[in-house]
Amino acid sequence: MSEKKKIADGHHHSHDHAHSHLPSDPELRVKAVETLLLNKGLIDSKTLDELIDTYENRIGPKNGANVVAKAWVDPEYKKRLLIDATSAIRELSYQGRQGENMVVVENTPEIHNVIVCTLCSCYPWPVLGIPPTWYKSDEYRSRTVREPRKVLLEFGLSLDPKVQIKVWDSTAEIRYLVLPMRPKGTEHMGESELAELVTRNSMIGTGLPKEIK
Amino acid sequence: MSRLHDMGGRFGDGSIPVPRNDENEVVNFEPTFKYDWHARAWAITLAAGALGEWNIDVSRHYRECLPPKDYINFSYYEKWLAALVNLLIDKELISLNELKEYVSAAKNGTIDNIIEKEIILDERAWLAKDVQKTLGWGGPSIRDVNISPVFNIGDKVITQNYSPNKDITGGHTRLPKYAMGRVGVIHSYNNNHVFPDKNAHGLGENPLPLYTVEFKSSELWGELAESQNDSILLDLWEPYLKPIPN
Repeated sequence: MSEKKKIADGHHHSHDHAHSHLPSDPELRVKAVETLLLNKGLIDSKTLDELIDTYENRIGPKNGANVVAKAWVDPEYKKRLLIDATSAIRELSYQGRQGENMVVVENTPEIHNVIVCTLCSCYPWPVLGIPPTWYKSDEYRSRTVREPRKVLLEFGLSLDPKVQIKVWDSTAEIRYLVLPMRPKGTEHMGESELAELVTRNSMIGTGLPKEIK
Repeated sequence: MSRLHDMGGRFGDGSIPVPRNDENEVVNFEPTFKYDWHARAWAITLAAGALGEWNIDVSRHYRECLPPKDYINFSYYEKWLAALVNLLIDKELISLNELKEYVSAAKNGTIDNIIEKEIILDERAWLAKDVQKTLGWGGPSIRDVNISPVFNIGDKVITQNYSPNKDITGGHTRLPKYAMGRVGVIHSYNNNHVFPDKNAHGLGENPLPLYTVEFKSSELWGELAESQNDSILLDLWEPYLKPIPN
């Protein structure tokens, strides 16, 4: 059997990697490939504009903040969210690409959750948008699974040694969102006010919601 | 054995590049795309992917197969672009000669002169009017197949060691090196999902049971573990796991 095994080289041409022909300036590189694909009719410039506009202006961490705030005020919703996050998130019309299979993990006084993708940059797009640079960095990807407490300290988060940290490495197509603890003294606040307190980092586990002054 | 992208746990990386304001406080906001070319590289990758010539596992594998010196030197979206170009050539959507022609036009500053006025869209091209619909569907990896999971919640398992891809030596896999040959406990069963180790190599979707497996920090890092209480959870397909007696 073993002699039949193929060796993976990613591509099957005998020439050098095609990408080695690209210019060194990344702007020119993109321009060359984009223009070629446009001229061949393989991509449409209006589609590119629509995609960029969607993730620059419509899909981002505000969506996730609305999910968290709703879970804080509505115990029945929170129950649904923790049992079947994909459906509960869809109730707020957030769904689809890179969020087809959502799991929400709850922070408690005993447990703090942190999300990472060590192999690439898996991230729940419908609720958090496109990942920030640090999430995609080698530093975050390599260190978070081995020394999460040191990593969190760099984000200004110092956890009690008694708190258990659970690091979720997104190695499959499940996408994770952290449900942070509701800050103290917010009992009088409504859902939309609460959503303002929910930071992006608090939904990845590298931060906490804003405190009220 | 692994590739450079598989970096979980490695030594040598410095501080996380956390953005801060003038008061040195952590900032939660940064632009979706730092430079216009980031946005363009990202968008053309999505739009080219929508032609249907490859799946998400193939595109991940192409990024992982960049030569190590390029993988290390390229920034995030440079990796995306390089892998995209290699895919476009391998799938014969563009030719090397065409690429060279457009690259030299870009270098000479004449590329705007060769932009076609009248473009006939390929019938596979993703239309702007369909963008929201397609994003809303996404690409679910769960498959409704009648396969029962071998493991139960709470079962002790040990992960495969060395090269987990049983079809292709050095092939795509989603079992990270740092969790190979380690003992964990089945935390949950997540239905049957497309198996990347085959799907990345054109060997079919082959959906299989997917589990979340919990590893104690001390099992992965020994005495280097920051706390005996902490744990790391990974989503792993059944072939990555072997039973061990409780």
